[in-house]
Amino acid sequence: MAHIVDQAAASEIRNTRVALGICLLAIAPQIFEFIWSIGTLVGWGSARSPTVLVTSHAAALLVGAPAALAGAFAGGTRPTISQDTLLALIYSYPLLAVAVLTTFMTIRSAQDYIGGIVLMALALFALWASNDLQGMNGFSFGAGTAPRMFGGLLVALAAGIALSGLLHDGPALAHYSWRGPLFVMTSILIFALAIRPLGLLISGLTSFLVAALGTHETRWRETIIVGVVLTLGCALLFPYVLGLPMPIVPRWLAQ
Amino acid sequence: MDLFANLAHGFVVAFSPINLLMCLIGALVGTLVGVLPGIGTIATVAMLLPITFGLPPVGALIMLAGIYYGAQYGGSTTSILVNIPGEATSVVTALDGFQMAKQGRAGPALAIAAIGSFIAGCIATVLIAILGAPLTKLALAFGPAEYFSLMVLGLIFAVVLAKGSILKAIAMIVFGLLLSMVGSDIETGASRMAFNIPELADGLGFATVAMGVFGFAEIIRNLDAGSEMDRDLVQQKITGLMPTKADLAASAPAIARGTLLGSILGILPGGGAVIASFAAYTLEKKIAKDPSRFGRGAIEGVAAPESANNAAAQTSFIPLLTLGIPPNAVMALMVGAMTIHGIVPGPQVMQKQPDLVWGMIASMWIGNLMLIIINLPLVGIWVRLLRVPYRLMFPSIVIFCAIGIYSVNNAPVDVILAGVFGLVGYWLIKHEFEPAPLLLGIVLGPLMEENLRRALLISRNDWTVFVSRPLSAVLLAIAAALLVLAVLPALRSKRDEVFTDSEN
Repeated sequence: MAHIVDQAAASEIRNTRVALGICLLAIAPQIFEFIWSIGTLVGWGSARSPTVLVTSHAAALLVGAPAALAGAFAGGTRPTISQDTLLALIYSYPLLAVAVLTTFMTIRSAQDYIGGIVLMALALFALWASNDLQGMNGFSFGAGTAPRMFGGLLVALAAGIALSGLLHDGPALAHYSWRGPLFVMTSILIFALAIRPLGLLISGLTSFLVAALGTHETRWRETIIVGVVLTLGCALLFPYVLGLPMPIVPRWLAQ
Repeated sequence: MDLFANLAHGFVVAFSPINLLMCLIGALVGTLVGVLPGIGTIATVAMLLPITFGLPPVGALIMLAGIYYGAQYGGSTTSILVNIPGEATSVVTALDGFQMAKQGRAGPALAIAAIGSFIAGCIATVLIAILGAPLTKLALAFGPAEYFSLMVLGLIFAVVLAKGSILKAIAMIVFGLLLSMVGSDIETGASRMAFNIPELADGLGFATVAMGVFGFAEIIRNLDAGSEMDRDLVQQKITGLMPTKADLAASAPAIARGTLLGSILGILPGGGAVIASFAAYTLEKKIAKDPSRFGRGAIEGVAAPESANNAAAQTSFIPLLTLGIPPNAVMALMVGAMTIHGIVPGPQVMQKQPDLVWGMIASMWIGNLMLIIINLPLVGIWVRLLRVPYRLMFPSIVIFCAIGIYSVNNAPVDVILAGVFGLVGYWLIKHEFEPAPLLLGIVLGPLMEENLRRALLISRNDWTVFVSRPLSAVLLAIAAALLVLAVLPALRSKRDEVFTDSEN
């Protein structure tokens, strides 16, 4: 008996964690925009400033969206709804609802359930992103018709996948490792940011070495030798043999 | 005979020194990536796309085609010798091929794989030449409604043939269709889901997504699988290359069946070389008098899948050249290569660019001949390459991929996007979503939307146009029947069986 109770308790703890994860997913675009907006403080980009952003999103989530919902039910004249409120309505609210539902469910295959929910989030986000596009225009499709059609279809399919994770036993969440993804992605990022200003030689070698950190098996002597040879080879192959325009050395050296 | 005149013309084009060289380079590079695990055909073709900027169009396409079928050869070599399938298409070859190698019969296994591939390649080449012209005529009867229905059929095929859950495969396709809509709308020019990011205004580059999902994601996945992959190398010298008479007698019918099955699956949209090899292996096992021999070094288990994957790799050019519809991801990249050179794939290519079409068809035959000649002596070199440890190989692949993507548009943002799609691909793998249908969705998305809109505009928003036009109705009926069949329990278990073969 105690064993069963234990198990139930364990699954409950996991369920709240899943639900919390979905809540986080529900406000992920807002958080992302906030992080993005921090750049405006140092003068990058033209996003809204962080304080404005936080207040407008909070207002949309807490006031605007409920008001809009109430307005829709009351059937009154429709006031123009801001994009922030729409994001809350189309994206955040459905996902928060899913999160609440999750706490009552027994998840039998976390792999399918979470996979379905994340896919649903992507589809809802696409629906929001295409809401300002023109719909059907007489006989002809507007720019927004097809995205909305497929977005809606994907929401339904993703819900089906999530549902199958509740109904059928299946694999639990797979194990993610951090080392490989972290270093390979950092290496890609370094290459992308450095290729223009620093040229192929420096960016290529740096990102080769960073990528090599992705496994603990790396032996540094051979890695450095291979990295240098490979970068030199690429610096000859791509710009000279293949004739692709590409900066080789840093900009200040080339001038 | 038109056919022979055309083929003769093709051979004249293909035998020009530059094209012969391109063919050789393509076949060699293809074999190389086929041998190396962790780098696939899709990533390679995407990587080499920018290289073809400076080449004449015929040469460029000959080279890219060579990579595709060359990879089918290379994959088999390592499957047989070291039990590491370099390509997904040769996974099943490893089952019996490696067993043969263990029994000291690596030579005959390699020879049969090469001979089977060559025969299949020859037959597929002739098939392309024969089917090309009539299918082009058929394509002229295609209106937007038919095109749309054909693509629906292709996507359904991809779903039925994909591994794992059907619901997930359909979701992946729709996700791909949705991703394909990022960027400017074709008709109104409105910016869709681009968030005012200028680099997204043109849409997500197909090569970028392909490289992320198939290149970077694969690397990350290999890394966390514990890269201490012990490579069980067969070190002994390969003696006695030639198969015995009994081997030949046993494999001849298997080669014939594999070629037939592969050719059919290659033509069908959504099919391709991977599924062809699985299907051929399963068929051989089903009709064998003693199925228990399979998995213990049955030569048919090498001959059939190797013939099938090569045949499929080549016949998948048919829908591309005649209808302008890429049936799989590699062909979609070929579309990219053609567009770079100002060629719009479709029925008119055959008439307007006879040099290109027939030259490429003829080059396939030449390429197959080259492969059989160069491959058997080079086996030793390929095996030695495999001893390059993965810890050195993966950073090199990362750099090559990054440079490759960057040089497509000279855009650093493309590299970052590919990285993001690498993470997406990693997540997809972890949740058992198949990336192949996703890619097909992205490929066919713009074409599908365009034809859907056009068809509905012509019919004044009357959706019955898809069932009232006979050709379109037939295509949709086949698609519906396939989907129903796939969901039926009887076929489902069979479908699962095909895929579990590869996992044991």
